[in-house]
Amino acid sequence: MTEYHVINGRAPRLDAPAKATGRAVYVDDIKLPGMLHGALLQSPLAHARILSIDTSKALELPGVKSVLTAENASMVPYGVSPARYDETLFVKDQARYIGDEIAAVAAVDLETALEAVSLIHVEYEELPAVFTMEEAMAEGAPKIHEKYPGNICAEVHQEFGNVEEAFAQCDLIRTDTFLNKRQDGAFLEPNGVVADFDRNGYLTLHTSTQSPHYVMRIIAMVLGLPVGKVRVVKPYVGGGFGPKAATNSIELASCLLSMKTGKPVKMNFTREQVFLFSRARHQFKHTLTTGVKKDGTLMALTNECYLEGGAYASFGIATVYYAGSLLGAPYRLPNMKYDGYRLYTNRPACGAQRGHGGVAARAAWEQQIDFIAEELGMDPVEIRMKNSMEAGDITCNDFNTSSFGMKECIEAVKERSNWNEKKGKMPEGKGIGIATGFFVSGAGYPIYRSETAHSTVVIKLNEDGGTAHVLTGSAEIGQGSDTAMGMIAAEALGVPLDCIKVSSGDTDYSVDLGAYSSRQTLMTGHATKNAAEDLKGQVLDVLGEKLKVPVDQMDIKNGFVVFKGETPDFSGIRTIYAKEHRGFFDNPDWDEPLTFKEAARMAFLARGSMVGTGSYKPGNLGGKFKGAAVGTSPAYGPSAQVVEITVDKGTGKITIDRMTDAHDCGFAINRTSVEAQMQGSLSMGLGEAMFEEVKFDDKGRILNANLGEYKIATALDMPNVDTIIVESNEPNGPFGAKEVGEGAIMPTIPAILNALYDATGARIQELPLTPERVFKAILEKEEKEK
Amino acid sequence: MKKMICLTINGKEYELAVVPNMTLADLLREELLLTGTKKGCELGDCGTCTVIMNGKAVNSCLVLAVQAAGKEITTVEGLETEKGLHPLQEKFIENGAIQCGFCTSGMLLSAKTLLDKNPKPDELEIRTAISGNLCRCTGYQKIVESIKDVSEGR
Amino acid sequence: MLLPKFEFHEPATVEEACRILGELGEKAKTLAGGTDLFVNMKKKVLAPEHVVSLDRIESLSELGSSNGMLRIGACVKAAEIAESHAVGGDFPALQGGASKLGSPLIRNLATIGGNLVSARPAADFPPPLMVYGAKAVLKSSTGERTVAVSDFIEGPGRTIISPEEILDSLLIEKPAAHSGSAYIKLGIREALEISLVNVAVFMTTEGPDGSIKAARVVMGSVGPTPLMSPSAEKVLLGEKPSGALYLAAGEAAAMDSRPIDDFRASADYKRAMVKELTRRALAQAYNEI
Repeated sequence: MTEYHVINGRAPRLDAPAKATGRAVYVDDIKLPGMLHGALLQSPLAHARILSIDTSKALELPGVKSVLTAENASMVPYGVSPARYDETLFVKDQARYIGDEIAAVAAVDLETALEAVSLIHVEYEELPAVFTMEEAMAEGAPKIHEKYPGNICAEVHQEFGNVEEAFAQCDLIRTDTFLNKRQDGAFLEPNGVVADFDRNGYLTLHTSTQSPHYVMRIIAMVLGLPVGKVRVVKPYVGGGFGPKAATNSIELASCLLSMKTGKPVKMNFTREQVFLFSRARHQFKHTLTTGVKKDGTLMALTNECYLEGGAYASFGIATVYYAGSLLGAPYRLPNMKYDGYRLYTNRPACGAQRGHGGVAARAAWEQQIDFIAEELGMDPVEIRMKNSMEAGDITCNDFNTSSFGMKECIEAVKERSNWNEKKGKMPEGKGIGIATGFFVSGAGYPIYRSETAHSTVVIKLNEDGGTAHVLTGSAEIGQGSDTAMGMIAAEALGVPLDCIKVSSGDTDYSVDLGAYSSRQTLMTGHATKNAAEDLKGQVLDVLGEKLKVPVDQMDIKNGFVVFKGETPDFSGIRTIYAKEHRGFFDNPDWDEPLTFKEAARMAFLARGSMVGTGSYKPGNLGGKFKGAAVGTSPAYGPSAQVVEITVDKGTGKITIDRMTDAHDCGFAINRTSVEAQMQGSLSMGLGEAMFEEVKFDDKGRILNANLGEYKIATALDMPNVDTIIVESNEPNGPFGAKEVGEGAIMPTIPAILNALYDATGARIQELPLTPERVFKAILEKEEKEK
Repeated sequence: MKKMICLTINGKEYELAVVPNMTLADLLREELLLTGTKKGCELGDCGTCTVIMNGKAVNSCLVLAVQAAGKEITTVEGLETEKGLHPLQEKFIENGAIQCGFCTSGMLLSAKTLLDKNPKPDELEIRTAISGNLCRCTGYQKIVESIKDVSEGR
Repeated sequence: MLLPKFEFHEPATVEEACRILGELGEKAKTLAGGTDLFVNMKKKVLAPEHVVSLDRIESLSELGSSNGMLRIGACVKAAEIAESHAVGGDFPALQGGASKLGSPLIRNLATIGGNLVSARPAADFPPPLMVYGAKAVLKSSTGERTVAVSDFIEGPGRTIISPEEILDSLLIEKPAAHSGSAYIKLGIREALEISLVNVAVFMTTEGPDGSIKAARVVMGSVGPTPLMSPSAEKVLLGEKPSGALYLAAGEAAAMDSRPIDDFRASADYKRAMVKELTRRALAQAYNEI
């Protein structure tokens, strides 16, 4: 049993004191001298041709410094994946949704900027619009993008094994459909930027983002600047959850406005604009056909999925793959066929949101598995245990599970929730349900084709050896990555956590793909560990020369040098150190073991700047088929959840009484952070299951573009979660660690659905579970039984 | 036309000229650079702009600066003293009740007004007290536990 | 988001407020808590040239009983009403409405007067006020009038108050002995909700076990204004309280309701909830007796 000094503990987060005292600077807290304020003009129509734009009155307004439209702005296409660069900064000819950006203004203050926007006169020719998947696919539907007939943004067809043959051998085959609704990320901090183009041609963009790296590349590409002259800095971020991984219009517009005016430019989304931008969870319509043997063995699955994607591709090109690939696990499934279609519609573009394309698919399938269990007379826990994968199994779509505590998670929640005493014995109106899920620990490939390392980290040792400064381009967005990296660095270097300073989220520090696909603990963690070990090695190298001890006979632990053999006489080093630090208060005592500080100081004196570097790139993962890249990952984290609910049949209201959650995170770098991510993930899943839905009118306008009518869970809606951390020690993870941030949400919706079915016998295969939907389903069921 | 107002913020007296249509949130953030008070929605739906005004927790985005004249305001910056952090701040940090931090200022201030009035709340009272402060990161649990800890002197 | 520009007035007395409103009329909007007004101004639904704050007028913030009459100043905050013993003792439905409004933060700003004057169909104060037969005192430079709250709201956002008047206070008579009341609000979440449906009920029985001699049922969010249910009253009067009676009253109330399909819920569901909530509220009210 390895003994760790820092990791696996409950260190308070490094950034918590700043956040608790109001010192933490988020992007809207930034003010720069001479700063201008920007505002956007956005299309009020869901689908329209732009006939003319007259900016003359806006330009004449005193205090206006720049007005940009497609005429004078870069129209280099961009997006998220190079395979679908279907966006431009401003609409040139065709506005494709209400919110599509037409112009941007920079002025001396926000009031003037907003007034200028209102003075821009646009002539529109309204075009017929399509809003639903069905409308988008219909014969003769208006084309949203010239290049994509039938409004099909992307189409996926995959088959693994042979489903037809497998179905022929099944004893039971079931088909079910499932429909969720569009969601919104609903992070509490709206997107915002401050762009600053200096007189040397260097651009700095402060932005509330999950991926400074991707934003930097898109800005460089669209604005025609060399990558080395674009710096993206992430201040404190008030949540991301996926939508903030996509480069947004104010990131680009503010940079361009700053370049044109020579002044810093601030822009913010209002909460309404956050909804208009979206890039959040798609609506998915799944039709699943699953075949099993009568003993519950899963044989085959066909999954047909339609995604309502909005006006642009954004992350959706990956989403449509995930909606299929993420059913390859956590059960042994030898035959799987997936047909996925992502449709363009005249609505805000959808993208990646916690759990990405896996959440709706997981909900659909876990619900169906419960129906199958019922038909077979099997307990829902039993059927899942029977089919669960174990470490070493490879899915039909080539995911390698090097660690997989699925069975441990199921056992844990079954135990902790007292499943056996409760299932089938719940009082009237109460129900219990179980579900499982899993997710990737980082995507196997970057969003743009590249051989790049996914994470690089630099650790600079202060010349006195007292502090090591971790420099990483990774993004702390509230999930705790800075603290995790600090702890990994401390552990790997061999020093206490308070010797580590972490600076992150700045493209000047290092290349890191950012916070998405739950990648940072594993990938940035590896790079951090490597950098710390590199640094330690350099220090020990010098020490070894000085003390004439082989490097492999020494190590650093807890701030001290430990010798495997006899401790040599290091009094020479101590004397030098003491002489250089006369008057300092913290010199080591004469009888103390040799400290890391002293060794580090020697290294500096011998070699100058001490810098450790580390990088991480996953090995070649996944199969050779089309789309194999999406879903491949160095590691997968499974989880299981049991939810207990009470249904008020008179109103249809559901109360979530209890949630028990077990998550295999490989190895918890920070136990408190893992629990916190589990609890937060579950609260988002609960919201999606029960309340969340973006609603539109028949003109494509969002009806509930505010946090009053788009309802996320309040403190009175969310119960306590009994969290169980399972540690399966992932060989591909630093210290055995893998993800928790997104995987934990996977079982939540289906556990609630299954509990609802248990409580009422009413089958609901559509979200959210509003009181009305539940009430009606119960009534219908009672009618049918009469 | 600007109006002169006098008000006390975090124990300090201010005399300021403000336009009528400036909100208290913007006064704090833009004029006084007390950016610990956040703006998450500006419509009173999220609670990130919570400040304590004459002992009551309110959405500062729905209060005019002129309405705050003559009143005592406490923002998150006013929770700590020379002696150190407020026990609520300490517990939030210790328990991991802070993730992205954007709801934290509001949560702390709502919690403070609860404990000032009701030093030994039960869990329902705690959850009710923070029910106007949305959090998307934590699921509320460690926040509730932290408030409980402080109320029980832990 | 920015508030549009306006001139700000802060009268110190009711008289001064009435004088200012008398001069400005339609050009002014009164400000009490601001939780409705400022939201509408930020959304550009309203842009009054003048805003007249009633916040500093002490008499409008007083809450007290005398001679069997509860007087609640129009600017008394929902939070105060939610915690007041004077209210909770005799008027649990009013306390219920106050405590369910928005969130604790909103309740520290929102006022009973503002909630009434903004006249949103889903508002939490009007139904309880109406079941108690509360009266609204309106003042202007030319005089004063008292109006039943049931006659106060004309339509969504419209009341009988004229631009020169302010709502001064609400007057509620202490209920007769053997009275009970309740307020139930149905929302999707447990806080920060605008009612999907709400119901307030009031009943008085002959003696502690007698039949019902007075009853009122008022429902919100199921019509352009809060609606009284004469049919439910008819069902209840003269009858002995019982579960079956409450059910019948609920059915009658549902018949009187006029819900529409909207993005929050369907009319069918709202109607069904009127029935259910009325039934529950009556049972709750009976327990208060």
